[in-house]
Amino acid sequence: MTKIVVDPITRIEGHLRIQAEVNGGTITDAWSSSTMFRGIESILKGRDPRDAWYFTQRICGVCTTVHSIASIRAVENALNITVPLNAELIRNLIIGTQLVQDHVIHFYHLHALDWVDVVSALKADPAKSAALAASLSDWPLNSPTYFKSVQDKVAAFVKKGRLGPFGNAYWGHPAYKLPPEANLMATAHYLEALDWQREVIKIHAILGSKNPHPQTFLVGGMAIPIDPNSQNALNADKIAEIGELLGKVKRFVEKVYIPDLLAVASFYKDWAGIGAGVGNYLSYGEYPLDNSGKPEKLWFPQGIILNRDLTKVHPIDQKKITESVAHSWYEGGSAGVHPYDGQTEPKYTGPKPPYDMIDTNGKYSWVKSPRYDGKPMEVGPLAVILVAYASGHAGAKGAVDMVLKKLGVGPEALFSTLGRTAARGIESLLVAEELPKWLDMLVANIKGGDLASHNGEKWDPASWPHEAAGFGWHNAPRGALGHWVRIRDQKIENYQAVVPTTWNASPRDEKGERGPYEAALVGTPLADPDKPLEILRTIHSFDPCLACAVHVVDPEGNAMVDVKVL
Amino acid sequence: MDYGDGKGKSRNSEQCFDVPRSLAERGITRRDFMKFCTAMSAALALPMSLVPRIAAALENDGRPSVIWLEFQSCTGDTEALLRAANPTIGEIVLDVLSIDYAETIMAAAGHQAEDARMKTVKEARGKYIAIVEGAVPMKDGGIYCCIGGRSALDIVREVCSGALATITVGTCASYGGLPAAAPNPTGAVGVKEAVPGATVVNLPGCPVNTDNLVATVVHFLTFGKLPAVDGKGRPLFAYGKRIHDNCERRPHFDAGQYVEVWGSEAHRNGHCLYKMGCKGPETFHNCPVQRYNEKTNWPVGSGHGCAGCSEPQFWDTMTPFYRRLPNVPGFGIETTADKIGAGLAVATAAAFAAHGVVSGLRHKDDESKDGKGGNQ
Amino acid sequence: MKQSQECLHEAYVWEVPVRVTHWVNVLSIAILSVTGIYIGSPVTLALTPSGYDMGWIRFIHFTAGFLFAISVVSRIYWSFVSNRYAGWREFVPFLSAEGRRNMWRMFAYYTFMSRKIPHPIGHNALAGATYLLVFLLYLVMILTGFTLYSEHAPHGPLHALLGWMFAHFSNQGIRQTHHLTMWLLIGFAIHHIYSAWLMDVKERGGVISSIFGGYKPVQGRE
Repeated sequence: MTKIVVDPITRIEGHLRIQAEVNGGTITDAWSSSTMFRGIESILKGRDPRDAWYFTQRICGVCTTVHSIASIRAVENALNITVPLNAELIRNLIIGTQLVQDHVIHFYHLHALDWVDVVSALKADPAKSAALAASLSDWPLNSPTYFKSVQDKVAAFVKKGRLGPFGNAYWGHPAYKLPPEANLMATAHYLEALDWQREVIKIHAILGSKNPHPQTFLVGGMAIPIDPNSQNALNADKIAEIGELLGKVKRFVEKVYIPDLLAVASFYKDWAGIGAGVGNYLSYGEYPLDNSGKPEKLWFPQGIILNRDLTKVHPIDQKKITESVAHSWYEGGSAGVHPYDGQTEPKYTGPKPPYDMIDTNGKYSWVKSPRYDGKPMEVGPLAVILVAYASGHAGAKGAVDMVLKKLGVGPEALFSTLGRTAARGIESLLVAEELPKWLDMLVANIKGGDLASHNGEKWDPASWPHEAAGFGWHNAPRGALGHWVRIRDQKIENYQAVVPTTWNASPRDEKGERGPYEAALVGTPLADPDKPLEILRTIHSFDPCLACAVHVVDPEGNAMVDVKVL
Repeated sequence: MDYGDGKGKSRNSEQCFDVPRSLAERGITRRDFMKFCTAMSAALALPMSLVPRIAAALENDGRPSVIWLEFQSCTGDTEALLRAANPTIGEIVLDVLSIDYAETIMAAAGHQAEDARMKTVKEARGKYIAIVEGAVPMKDGGIYCCIGGRSALDIVREVCSGALATITVGTCASYGGLPAAAPNPTGAVGVKEAVPGATVVNLPGCPVNTDNLVATVVHFLTFGKLPAVDGKGRPLFAYGKRIHDNCERRPHFDAGQYVEVWGSEAHRNGHCLYKMGCKGPETFHNCPVQRYNEKTNWPVGSGHGCAGCSEPQFWDTMTPFYRRLPNVPGFGIETTADKIGAGLAVATAAAFAAHGVVSGLRHKDDESKDGKGGNQ
Repeated sequence: MKQSQECLHEAYVWEVPVRVTHWVNVLSIAILSVTGIYIGSPVTLALTPSGYDMGWIRFIHFTAGFLFAISVVSRIYWSFVSNRYAGWREFVPFLSAEGRRNMWRMFAYYTFMSRKIPHPIGHNALAGATYLLVFLLYLVMILTGFTLYSEHAPHGPLHALLGWMFAHFSNQGIRQTHHLTMWLLIGFAIHHIYSAWLMDVKERGGVISSIFGGYKPVQGRE
């Protein structure tokens, strides 16, 4: 038996460490540790709830809108504010664009290098790459000249002998299986996606000033005013520009991302049987189609799937969400408690740095262990797509069946590392195709004379009740995100965020049950324990975001009552 | 804190990067390259006659090694780098810099990643540029951020003390930023405080404006020294003026036209956001000019006030974001200094009115002159 | 009472510079407060962006600020060359035992603990000490005001002179202080007018008219 450590796990957001036990070339056990802590929730206490989104937005700069959305929804829920339809639709445009852009960056820039051997691309015949690409889509850049120019660029770079960020990687590892021409195609698209992501995210700049960290959210609506007759507001000019960019979003996903995903996946079908994980899936649903705040008006449905049983979607009862700190560096008992009764102060019991190994029998991570009804849950695109698929969402059903058919596998293949990566593509495709429709809805509403972008009835804190509590849910690119807020005397009394990577990267709970990363790693084959590429594949398939996951400080631990369902 | 004056304090500034470069080899046309240099001249506000010198500096010198460290951050500054346009991130990675270590984008992981960093620190000592994102937690021996089993403090000291220069990207690395906001649970500080001896240029902002980062690097490569900085260690070319003084809505401020309600006619017509808590009048940054995402927009341009994100401790001093003035400690968030002050003035008036009444009722004041000698 | 009035004669107490700086202070504080309150929480005045309402109000504020600063500095200078009533010793009565005793007498009178009215010729001891505090507040206002003003030209001479403030205080902290101190000074003005009136009525010392004409009726054998 060998014990291995991968620290840092790179190409993720934040700081993650994996310790694993390897027996006969297969991982037999694994521990996931987060090694960074900031304490944003304790920083939030006593501040203006209207400012909270600006603070929580900085929980993560990769999924840079998600914590601001969850935060304003939580405060709006607590204060019972209905936002104007225009603001709801602008939010849909912002979060949908964020999701697709984030997924494409993840696929090409964070995840692809686990599957694509850039060095092997040098051996490719550009004509073959062009032929391969042309067989997949009619993307205009599928020419041999184009692939040749990319190959030359990479060759010139490699010749210099200083590989920069591509140095010291696992190039030539036996687990890389793509032929050289596919590697070249993917490398070309790696570079192309860099330009694409920069271009399309301008939607955020138009609607919200900048990206990362758009500065436009307001409790009660959005800061961008709407007026077709003003140059300082959302007008026809800006709408046209957004429409143009949404076209680019859609075309790239349809003609580059999805074809690449299917092409790469077809060489790695064995990964449809690896990395299954815990088998329970949680999705909060997303994209409100009106401003009623009702879960049934969400475009992606809400729900839970247990034990990989796609015949039944269970409703979510937020009271059943608990977090355990049995193996996390915080004060408190080992039993799981509701986020409102959250645990207290950080209490580091790990080794003093520098260290080689963390003792995983005790506490070993800054991430808590969230559980639903005592069960670990996987969240993220796979959960979203499975819940939508099982709920009979037409778009999800069509897209999932298309992907399964093209790969020639059954629905059981979804419960895997490959399934997770495929679901991310499916979610991007569905959202990319829906985004222009939300823009159309927005235009129709403006055309009807509705220019409202903010509901200011409760803007003045003097209009608030003495005490209020609420929560806001959001389906972020990495999955189910919830913020819980408690307001007293116009100040934040308590703030708690239970985020996607906390669900997925959670250490063991008080019963010793593994979190999704840990469960997914068990059974993974490992060709070379010194170059654990396979660990990266499974971990990256979750798209970890550790800055998000580690945030937890709730020094008061007050119970919350009267929580409204969003 | 001594940030250095940026004028000749850059140690080893005569160091040259001697790997010869050729544009053709990089697959970039000369035209592209001149375009990039022109854009950089604009960012640096250099006269056009300097364009050939920038080109020469970049052509003759090799790509400097860069170690990009990430500590208590949200990775927003790395994401900002991905939005770089002149040059693009692809060009930066392949052609301009040799980014030997950057957790978020590098292919290597685990000890291979750590080896890459240590190799640069050892072999390119005094020649590489350190770029730091995120704050450094000092409390409890630095346990709040560990990478590869080592504390952030340990790593930042090793890397930055051996660097030719350190550029901090974002407010966290510059001044502690969000983790350092009250009550600063982890004892977070900026790089200059964690490594007092390092040569540091601060590029605060939340996140950093990637154009300013690229401009700083180009300035460095071109002139062989760091740009001149202000009292807070920020380059003057990017932080030398207030947002307020470059703001497109300044005429509305001077005229006296203010937004008072979100979505109102004044708001739709782009009036001044001063009353909505805009911190442009107290923030030094080039946002109104440089803007974000290839000059597409900036906060005030999209109808939201400035939050003051490039100022030290802005999380505490510039909040609440929707008010002109900070909270007064010990009072509710609705209680501003002016409310308290007006209350004091009214209370004074009331107290003296009462005193006057009592005084008026006391007719028989003693006319003894005992007290008269007081000033004699 | 009648008897004492018979012995009165006019003493020249407040020299011209004292009276001028006093009234310049009054005027500039009034202007600074009104314009300052508007600058701090303005209302929309202009109908078109080509107006310059805030611009003019700020111009008046800054001009009044310069006037006030010059006046305060002049008055401080004068306290070293003036007659004894306006001299610097008047403002630090607590340095001598007698001064402390006089402060106590005045305090006792104000708080109705004593019915004896002290009759000083210049400032009463408590007032003198208060003015020291007021002058410190003036200096705080001048320092914070010009520091904030200097930010419009961060390379200018004013910033070179006052830039050090930003190394010690945050911009918003300085602004907060500027706002709060204004209210303290307004509070002082209320108190000042009241006690002058009180003294005028009770002491019959002609203290109000003295700040116009400079002469005060004084009892004594001079």
